[in-house]
Amino acid sequence: MEAFHHLLAGFAAALTVKYLLFALAGCVLGTLIGVLPGLGPAAGTAILIPLTFSLDPTGAIIMLSAIYYGAMYGGTITSVLINVPGEAASVVTCIDGYQMALQGRAGSALAIAAIGSFVGGTLATVALVLVATPLATLALKFGPVEFFALMVAGLCLVVGLAGKNMLAALLMTVIGLLFAMIGLDPVRGAPRFTFGIEELYDGIGFVPVVMGLFGVAELLIAAEKRQARMIQADLKNWMPTKEERRASAGAIGRGTVIGFILGLIPGVGAIVPTFMAYVIEKRVSKTPERFGKGAIEGVASAETANNAYANAAMVPLLALGIPSSPTIAVLMGAFIINGLTPGPFLFQERPELVWTVIASFFVGNALLLILNLPLVGLWAKLLKIPFSYLCTGVLIFCVIGAYGLKQSLFDVWVMLGFGIIGYLLRKLDFPIAPAILALILGPMMERSLRTTLEMSGGSYAIFLDRPVALVLLTVPVIVLGALLLRPGTFSKLRETDTD
Amino acid sequence: MRQGRLIATGVMLAFCLFALWQALLLSLTDRLGPGPGFFPFWLALIGAVLAVALLFTTFREPVDPADAEVRILPHGPGAKRWLAIVVLLAATAAAMEIVGFRLAMLVFNAALVIALGERRWWLIAVFAVLGSFGVHYIFTTWLDVLLPAGWIWS
Repeated sequence: MEAFHHLLAGFAAALTVKYLLFALAGCVLGTLIGVLPGLGPAAGTAILIPLTFSLDPTGAIIMLSAIYYGAMYGGTITSVLINVPGEAASVVTCIDGYQMALQGRAGSALAIAAIGSFVGGTLATVALVLVATPLATLALKFGPVEFFALMVAGLCLVVGLAGKNMLAALLMTVIGLLFAMIGLDPVRGAPRFTFGIEELYDGIGFVPVVMGLFGVAELLIAAEKRQARMIQADLKNWMPTKEERRASAGAIGRGTVIGFILGLIPGVGAIVPTFMAYVIEKRVSKTPERFGKGAIEGVASAETANNAYANAAMVPLLALGIPSSPTIAVLMGAFIINGLTPGPFLFQERPELVWTVIASFFVGNALLLILNLPLVGLWAKLLKIPFSYLCTGVLIFCVIGAYGLKQSLFDVWVMLGFGIIGYLLRKLDFPIAPAILALILGPMMERSLRTTLEMSGGSYAIFLDRPVALVLLTVPVIVLGALLLRPGTFSKLRETDTD
Repeated sequence: MRQGRLIATGVMLAFCLFALWQALLLSLTDRLGPGPGFFPFWLALIGAVLAVALLFTTFREPVDPADAEVRILPHGPGAKRWLAIVVLLAATAAAMEIVGFRLAMLVFNAALVIALGERRWWLIAVFAVLGSFGVHYIFTTWLDVLLPAGWIWS
């Protein structure tokens, strides 16, 4: 009941003109990011952080969250019209969405994607409201022992789901954690790996690294390829027929449940729920042979699961302070930049901020539906922007974002360096997501472990005395063990997943 | 591809060994418990073991003929575009403190759109000015973001 009162207060704030405008701006920019092929939500959210420098923390988080779920929707447009996913999670939408476009049904595909995204996102936010408070209350009882175990469990799940690349993912996690060690020791304040370079005393900046690994690297990969051509589609008649609406209803319901449940698990990534929703839809269909040839249920299930996942992935961040994907890690970075630490204490210390942000998810989903149904033709026109202008424009934002945070040109060099590293890692099929999550969780993990060992006088037996920590450390070991025995699980799904 | 993965893993192994050496220069424990070198030491050690294991498994993998066709470094007509982005970004980062954001970005915008294939001079000029002076005005005036002024404006 208390949560309901907080949510009402959150709505009162989220519906003020100022926050409505931030949510609207975020949705527009997010859809734009999603529409532009090759620029995913993680890069998009990181690149647009400088736009929020002058905003208050609530406004900044509202806008960046809206950019995130706006981007998750925007990817659909390119999937349907040019058969190129705007972000990894829209890969599945290409299968039937592009076929529908070839049959002259692009409008219906995009409309059902918008409706499914709205329903999935909204219902997942309702579930978030119901789940987040009890989870945060439970997490308040956690000490450093449990938090360390929780972070280890989160990272292990990310690694475990890397499939055939599990060993590489483990190595990338350790490399990410080692980069997180650069700077002042979080407990004693001693400098580490700084080599007398002043800029390194603050550590390696998370934002320049993300911009490099996702933004610059994606542009370098895109620069090598030829650009895809958009098909001429009739987007004036976008309303799906009665038959199409009936066919999609079940798919939207199932997609919501699948997306929400998988969104709660760290490391799953957006592509797994969309693929799973699609496969299940094909299994339950009486005419599975239509899938791959323009079945609207295929588009509805994947897009609904995608947006339900995006909203559900906020639960581990808000309630536990654990990011479950690189984009959520960027959002966590935005919280930290604004002097906030996401997690159970935020519910106690800044309830007005948390509930305003949650209320803004409802508002944002509604805004996306309004923006995307009648304006779909306008978004499609953006696909005609030449790569030369698009690439240069994005790089301007990258430079400002990297420089603007600390007014340091060193960070621009960091961004460029990590851009080249990210390009090579992608070409060599090394998973980047574990390194990003490790980079942001590293200092917190170290602080928790060292506090734990100080509490126990250096004895590791403390992990055996705490049942929650023991379970949290045992489960990922079992998962990793099982996946090591069956390599290849999820590997195909994860190959292109950056979220 | 396989060779590239071996080289990349070798670089990561070297990085972990370097971190291990650096961590050993810090105190691993102190009177309160684990010291500043404790966490990096164990991470670097685990990382080195993982890198060796990855080197070993990659080396033992059967050679896939399709892998031989995968080019790691940029190639073909795209290589020039790739190089233009990297070189111009580096030049901009080097010049920005001296000539300021506006001038550095003016040159960067014009040079990059030309390198990426644009030939309409008036469009290049409009884009370069808006993307440098226009963006500078918006970010410094409306969004309170400090950007390098350079010797002309300072």
